[in-house]
Amino acid sequence: MWQYEKKLQYPVKIKRPNPKLAQIIISQYGGPDGELGASLRYLSQRFSMPYPELKGLLTDIGTEELGHLEMIGAIVYQLTRNLTPEQIKTGGFDAYFVDHTTGVYPASAAGVPFTAAYVQSKGDCITDLHEDLAAEQKARTTYDNILRFVDDPDVADPIKFLREREIVHYQRFGEGLRLATDRLDSKNFYAFNPSFDKKK
Amino acid sequence: MTDREMLLRKLSSAQFALWELHLYLNTHPDDSEALRMHEQYESKCAGLRREYEGTYGPLSPMTGEGALWLQPPWPWDVTEDDG
Repeated sequence: MWQYEKKLQYPVKIKRPNPKLAQIIISQYGGPDGELGASLRYLSQRFSMPYPELKGLLTDIGTEELGHLEMIGAIVYQLTRNLTPEQIKTGGFDAYFVDHTTGVYPASAAGVPFTAAYVQSKGDCITDLHEDLAAEQKARTTYDNILRFVDDPDVADPIKFLREREIVHYQRFGEGLRLATDRLDSKNFYAFNPSFDKKK
Repeated sequence: MTDREMLLRKLSSAQFALWELHLYLNTHPDDSEALRMHEQYESKCAGLRREYEGTYGPLSPMTGEGALWLQPPWPWDVTEDDG
């Protein structure tokens, strides 16, 4: 189960609205490499993880990603506060606005709604951990791309925090993969699937 | 920065350190130095949390109910006092 804590993992306090930026950053809410996909990926994969360290890792990182989802939601919300119809139009936010007003909706920057097709849960810890390593790097690249468009330090600060978390998670997943392969057949890591086959 | 924000940041920094150690301990469960630091930050977090909740209200539904739990700010709010 989960318990809510009424605070963000890292503070978000944006003074100036910027609907254009909100439309880009929303990709980390419901886009292909966003935080919603990340949390669903890890929290789903953990059920078939064979070793305690991996169960712990996927549970904790999946949980942290839910906190990141909340931070991205807060950023999008604060960037779209008190908008005038004029700002909505000139900011290119009209296409989003017509469907969602200023509600936070899980979609990509291009407006594609969130889909579970963004995640995989393959029931093989080697395969899943490789997906997780790639996912962290894809999210890191997305944050790097977002930072190319951000000149407001109020926005850059929490985005940089989130970018760094991808790097830390990548490191931990790498260690998890090593812990897994250490327990497998050193001549052939693929001799059996430790998530499914009885150990030989 | 308001006093509330300052204290919340102090608490968040300590919680962040504790969380980092916790993630690390998943893959290094026998690292005694990390376990020792984890213990230190655990008591630091508990103290800061008590201090924050005593002044500004509950951070968890387990530590305050009703109007106390519902009172603003919510995490995504940009509050008057925060500017």
